[in-house]
Amino acid sequence: MRGKTQKLVFMALLTALELTVWVIEGQIPAPVPVPGVKLGLASVVTLTAMVVMGRKEAGCILLARIVLSALFAGSFSAILFSLAGGVLSWAVMGALLGLFPEKLLWVVSVFGAIAHNAGQLLAAAAVTRTAAIFWYGPALLAAAIVTGAFTGLGTMYLVRALEKYQIGRNR
Amino acid sequence: MKGKTLFWVVLFGALAALGAGIYLLHGPAVRSAAIYVDGALYRTVDLGAVAEPYSFTVETPDGWNTVQVSPGSIRVTDADCPHQDCVKQGAISDGAIPIVCLPHRLVIRIGEP
Repeated sequence: MRGKTQKLVFMALLTALELTVWVIEGQIPAPVPVPGVKLGLASVVTLTAMVVMGRKEAGCILLARIVLSALFAGSFSAILFSLAGGVLSWAVMGALLGLFPEKLLWVVSVFGAIAHNAGQLLAAAAVTRTAAIFWYGPALLAAAIVTGAFTGLGTMYLVRALEKYQIGRNR
Repeated sequence: MKGKTLFWVVLFGALAALGAGIYLLHGPAVRSAAIYVDGALYRTVDLGAVAEPYSFTVETPDGWNTVQVSPGSIRVTDADCPHQDCVKQGAISDGAIPIVCLPHRLVIRIGEP
């Protein structure tokens, strides 16, 4: 990534992309009758940004997306849940990114998804003040593994596609 | 598949199966339906504890709805409201979309306490 302006433009582009994906995904009904389970396609963009640009940049894009998404969701508690899941997921993926080879990027994504759901579960427990909510844990774990693997593979394809346009990795 | 990929696939596969299994066997009582009239809780029904379908009538200040409970699902079978939207919606079995009878201010939703 050359130059400050190019970097800024690319970050803005990724933020817009992530927000768009997030809004569109919100229109798709959940495929399973467990509250809180969704595909998490927006995380494809976060992880891609982390690989291509870096952890700090991915964090900025994520935070911008979360703040902007509250405008579309129209509620403050949505920010809280998004932050709890998003920040934890970002931290875990950032910590693991350097430890796995490129072919195992989807593993990083799975751990990120697990952290995301764990963060949301903790936030939900804090908000509702009920420990019974942790019964969702196993279901959310299973869901995170499936969705995380899926979005991880999506990320790997996207990173590979970006390389064709000379947008390389910059870890 | 090479060794490391296989390792993670097997590990995550086992974890996912374990999680799903635990949830399906011991999951929370998400199968509980709550009926609200004008925002106040009117009655809750544990849909997991229903053996035979049965019906009861909810009297609201604005009219009545006949609610039918079946194992795992709940529906409005009859009502004296003008549009019958709640009846036409049919049975619900998850928390995705609640049944709403607007003229009677009646809401039936699944999965929330």
